[in-house]
Amino acid sequence: MNNEIHKLLRLKRHEHPTPDYFERFLDEFRERQRAELLQQPTLTLLWERIVNAFPNFHVPRLAYAGVGVAAVILSTVILVSQQGGETGRSSFALNDPTPTVNVLPTGEGNIRMPVSSRSDFPPHYVLEARPVSYESPYSF
Amino acid sequence: MAEVAAEQEVNDAELVSRTQGGDPRAFDDLVRKYSPRLYGLVYNMTSNHEDTNDLLQDIFAKAYRSIKGFRGRSSFYTWLHTIATNMTINFLKKRSRSYSMSLDDLDNGIHHDPDFIEMTSGPDAIREVNLKELQQRLNEAMMKLSNEHRAVVTMFDIQGMPHAEIGKILGCSEGTVRSRLFYAHRQLQNHLQEFLAA
Repeated sequence: MNNEIHKLLRLKRHEHPTPDYFERFLDEFRERQRAELLQQPTLTLLWERIVNAFPNFHVPRLAYAGVGVAAVILSTVILVSQQGGETGRSSFALNDPTPTVNVLPTGEGNIRMPVSSRSDFPPHYVLEARPVSYESPYSF
Repeated sequence: MAEVAAEQEVNDAELVSRTQGGDPRAFDDLVRKYSPRLYGLVYNMTSNHEDTNDLLQDIFAKAYRSIKGFRGRSSFYTWLHTIATNMTINFLKKRSRSYSMSLDDLDNGIHHDPDFIEMTSGPDAIREVNLKELQQRLNEAMMKLSNEHRAVVTMFDIQGMPHAEIGKILGCSEGTVRSRLFYAHRQLQNHLQEFLAA
């Protein structure tokens, strides 16, 4: 019985379009490819041209991933170092070995003012035995 | 037969290599070579010429875009048929349009087909077969199958592919292909009873 069905189904091989359909199909396909090519972004086209200009330059598939990871790591390092620089600046007053000048002697201790030759630093007032404060000295 | 297949693979490999190297005419040759066969595959799964035409365009466009990633682990033929089958099954899952057909789609070759001659004029001729009716009933019966079963029937019964090749295309074992064929044939038998010999 399976053979009978097989024979019957084989008749469906005769359901196909005329041969000129396939030539038209190919023309339509080429047109569509051209249209898709025109819709591509300029950068993609530029990249394709570069790749086509060096046909023997085969980039391994994972190389793109490697470059991507390297770019992420590099940007992270740059960001971290920038933030570290800013933090370093703000804590500079704590660790600054520059000499201090006694401005006003008080009973509780001396107010030390770091002397810095760099003009871009805001003045820091450091109280001995107290945390660094940016508050006005009049607050205590 | 094996020599022909080997020669075909060599030709395909060369055309694929030229396409990968940026020669669009090589891909044109591949389209010319495989479009009639893929048309049969897609048409017998969708039973709609418009859908087949649109899908075939999409299939070749996808193949063209992906061909740089083709490493030749399977034959180009298998690779292309896998793309076609997956895209057609995905399309059928979403399709709302019903199938349609036309008598004009049957070429004159059917009148010379030994199976057709045997069925209509031999001593065991079942009945006077009306071509249009036969085509309609075959399509209706096919469309009652699940997409996966229809794919197997199309590739095995209509396109004459071996079980192993179908398994590679569908990503399943040969046993699964045989099992799907068995159930599909049983289902088709119920729908096509009047055209089958007693």
